[in-house]
Formats: sequence, structure tokens, C-alpha cells
Amino acid sequence: MIVAALARRPRTARRSRGAAWRYAAAMGYLAFVLLPVLYMVLVSLQDSVSAGTILVPKSLHWQTFAEMWSTVDLGLYLRNSLLIAILTGVSASVLALGAAYVVARFRFRFRNPFRISLLATQAVPGVLLLLPLFVIYVVIQHTLAIHIVGSYFGVVLTYMTFALPFAIWMLSVYVASLPKEIEEQALVDGAHRYEVLRYVTFPLAVPGLVVTFIFSFLLAWNDVLFASVLTSPSTRTIGVGLQNYIADNTLPLWNQLMAASIISAVPAVVLFMIVQKWIVAGLAAGSTKG
Amino acid sequence: MITPERAPSAVAVPHAPVQARRPARGSPLRAPYWMMTPSVALLALIVFLPILIAFYISLTGLNQYTIGDWLRAPFVGLRHYMDTLEPQGPFASSLFNSVKASLAFSLLTTALIMPIALGAALLFNQSLPGRAFFRAMMLIPYIIPTFVNAILWRLVFMNGTGVLDQLLSALHLGSRETFWLIGPNSLWAMVIADVWAAWPFVYLMSLAALQTIPAELYDAATIDGANGARGFLYVTLPLIRSTLGLAVVLSTINHFNNFTLPYVMFGISPPEQVNVLPLNIFVNSFVTFNFGLGAAMSVVALAIMLTPAVLYLRAARVGDESR
Repeated sequence: MIVAALARRPRTARRSRGAAWRYAAAMGYLAFVLLPVLYMVLVSLQDSVSAGTILVPKSLHWQTFAEMWSTVDLGLYLRNSLLIAILTGVSASVLALGAAYVVARFRFRFRNPFRISLLATQAVPGVLLLLPLFVIYVVIQHTLAIHIVGSYFGVVLTYMTFALPFAIWMLSVYVASLPKEIEEQALVDGAHRYEVLRYVTFPLAVPGLVVTFIFSFLLAWNDVLFASVLTSPSTRTIGVGLQNYIADNTLPLWNQLMAASIISAVPAVVLFMIVQKWIVAGLAAGSTKG
Repeated sequence: MITPERAPSAVAVPHAPVQARRPARGSPLRAPYWMMTPSVALLALIVFLPILIAFYISLTGLNQYTIGDWLRAPFVGLRHYMDTLEPQGPFASSLFNSVKASLAFSLLTTALIMPIALGAALLFNQSLPGRAFFRAMMLIPYIIPTFVNAILWRLVFMNGTGVLDQLLSALHLGSRETFWLIGPNSLWAMVIADVWAAWPFVYLMSLAALQTIPAELYDAATIDGANGARGFLYVTLPLIRSTLGLAVVLSTINHFNNFTLPYVMFGISPPEQVNVLPLNIFVNSFVTFNFGLGAAMSVVALAIMLTPAVLYLRAARVGDESR
């Protein structure tokens, strides 16, 4: 490193000026992202009377973070949301990889209509699907005597399917960029198509899978419309549950709502910190493939 | 490489051109369709079948009295469509206004997001001390649930007591009594809230596309004297163009269909500037329980949103032929 730096000495000044500009821009982006979050933190530390009407709290009202757990069943909502979002992310990514592999590697008659319909489904408004979907689930429940509306299964199934079009599209583009020589070699050596997918394509597609996991996870994490209809009090997700802070009270508890929002962002942020390394590692592996 | 329109041509099709016969079952040349069966079945049941049912509902007078036996709801034909699409129809001005609000909202948001997101992707694709930290922090707005985001900005934009009005008056830039949640400003309030929340989506897509560009390409470009802006124009942009195109389409569609943000920020009787289509449809379906009318309006919304999707696919195919 030092030798390399010495060898490049004549350009160091220009480089460091460029680095300073980049650093300033990075700090600008950081402020853009964090200032609204900082405001949330400030509101969460205000008492419930002045919350939201002032900027800096008169005194730090730390009790908010203790009070919020008993106002609504926050722990349950968080657990439900995490479970549903992780199941959605994993199942959508795995299912999508199979479909994406076929779309990327083969030409078949309905290939283009299928790809077009994937993009077309993105244009479908959620409110259009809500009522018909509810009707379908109720009919299935009656005929098969299984529990869908109000169960984890029903919500995950719904979110997973909504996440599929984007995941398939994204992964098919990704798989198409992978070299197919190794796959062909494995097939020549007598491997089954499934084994090729599992042991050759899957490891190479991990960076793409991480991206689809993130988007599917967030789709499930962010939804309020479908969760409000398809969950029961015991499977209620955080997006719906948070509304209780301002719905059932005469005085809206802005401070507790903001505190609960901050807490509810923590698991997702931690998850993303871990995923971040995966993306970097996956890219490092991808760049050596030559 | 990685661009959608080039994917088909980049993949050598594993079928022998001479014999037109279909590869035998179990042959490695035959496409393993079973791998896509679960996805196709789920999409059929949970997306396409509901669309068909919604079409049917749009032709009926389904309301809260007939919902118990929805198949028996009176058939009204195209009445809901005429009510909303004919100039003198009772819901025509409501629909027209909502289409205008939705288009303004989704196009403004996308136009603001693209430079912000692409700038960040280019910045954090370069080496920078603490890059992993910055990259992760950029995702925070996107991780925050839409509902929370809407509440946060509702607080920020609150008239008189909101932090924005306090800031504006402290800096003598505006009156403390500026209304952001009613009147013409409400559109800007919603645009700002959605830009802040949704830009990391485009940023992530751009970053992923940038990272598929091999470093050797830049080295070669530098040797040829193309760096900085020219490197971006002639090396980076052509290679990520189709991903950016997809990002524009998806972003426009996502904003157009965003229900949670306007619903939580403005409630069920919003100012007309932000009475976007999803909100209008929701009110017609689940507040006044005119399910048939709501379904007809959502079919119209679907038709509008298919336009950018079709345009994108067209452009992608044209690019394929020219190569």
C-alpha cells in the first residue's frame, strides 16, 4: 500500500481534493437521510403534552420508551412483522430463482408474454386486488376447511406472490449475466437440472438473491392495506399496530408513536447491516470470475 | 451483460437449430418448466384471478347490501364506466381530478428521485472511507415503514406548530401560518415525504447495476482518455441505461399506486390536490361501499399504469433489434 502510494505521489494532491469533495457529498447525503430521523428522536423524548409542537424537548422524557410497551402490544406486533417479512423474503427469493432461471436460460413459447405480464402486474393497484382477494380466500377457507384470513400463512402467501414479479425479473437479469459454461459442464458430467440450480447457479446468484430478499422483506414490512384486512389481533403487524397510538386515544401520543417507530426500525437496520456485508462479499466473488 | 434487453440475445439458446423437433422429456436441453410452476400458479391465483373478479365487480352494482352474496349483485353493464369517463358523468370530474393529482405526484416524485439516487449510487460506488457505513445509512428512509413516514411528515408539515413552519418563520422565509396539509401546498408536502422515503429504491437498483461494470472497462476508458464526465457518459451510462429505465418505470408506477402515504397523511377527505386515484378508489369502495364504482375506477387506473409498462417493454425490444 505504502509503495503504491509513493509511486503515485504526483497525483496525490488531486486525489485528496477529489476525496474531500466526495466526503463532503457523502456527509450531505447523510444529513439528508438523518435529519428527519433526528426529528423523530427529538419528538420521542418530549412529554406527551408538548410532543410535536416544539423542536427541542424541555427536558428529556426517557419514560416514553418504557411507557410505549404497555400502551399497545408493541412486542407482539414487532415479532409478527419480523416473522412475516423474513418468511416473505426467503420464500419469494427461492421461488423466484427457479422461475428466473428458466426465463434467463431458455426460450419457450410463452417467454415474452410471461415477462410482459411480470411487469404488467407491477401496475396493478393494491386497492383493486383487496376485495377480490378477500373473497377468494374466504371461498378457499370454506371449501378446504383451512384457516387463511388472519393466519400468518395467508399474509405471507399474499406478500410473497406480490413480491414475485419484481424478484423474478431482477433475478432473471442477474442469472443471464452469469457464465453458463459451468452449468453446461455440470450437465455433461451427469448432474440433474435441480443439482445444477442448487450447487452451481444458487451460490453465484446470492448477491441477486440478497437484493430480492431486501425488496420482498420491505414489501411485507411496509404494507398496511392488506395487513389491516388479512391479519387478526394475534397476527397484527407493526404497520397496522402503530396506528393504535393515535387512534384510540383522545390525545394523540406522538412521542410514544415516534419512540415505537424508532424501536421498530432497529431490527430492520441491524438486518441491513448484516446484508450489507453479503452484498460486498458477493460482489468481491463476482469480480474475480473474470 | 446484465441489461434486460440484452439478456435474451446474450443467452445462447440451447436448442439445435437444424432439428426442429422438441427435445425429449428429461433431456438436458428441455426447459425445466417445473421450476417456474409454483410462481406461475401463485400469480394466477393471487394476482390474475382477482383482476378478473375486479373486472366482473366493475360491471355490477355491488354494495354493502349485496356483498353477502356477491355473485348475485345486480349486473349494470358499463354504467360505472360511463359515470366516470363521460364528460357529464356524475363521477367524471372526480376521476379526472384524481388522475391529474396521481400523474403530477408520481411524475414529480420520480423526476426528483432520479438525480438524487443516481448521484448517491455513483458516489458510494467509489472508494471512500467508511463506505459500508454510508451505504447502509442511505437505506434508512426506505426501511422506515410508510405509515411511520407519513406520520413523521404530517408532524413536520403541521400548520403553525410543525417544525417546518417554525423554521420558515425563524428564517423569515415564510409565514408561520403556511398551510401544508390543505390547499395547493399539500401536493408538495406529499412529494417531499415520498421522495425522502422512496429514493433508496432507485439508489439500490443503480448501485447494483454499477457494480456489474468490470473495473477493466474504466481502466481501458482512462487509457483512451475518457474519465470523469466522459467516462460516465460513454462507459457508465450506456451500461446502466436499461436498469435506469426500469427504475423510472417501476418508480412511477409505485408512486402512482401508493395508497398508504396519502391515506395516513390526509385521511379519507383529502384536499383535491392530493386526492390521488388509490385514495379515491378506497373511499368509493370501503367508505361509501360502492364496490362496483371503485372497481371500475381501479380498472381505469390499471389501464393508465399499463402505458408506461408497455412503453418500456417496447423500448427494450427496439434496443434489441438495433443490435
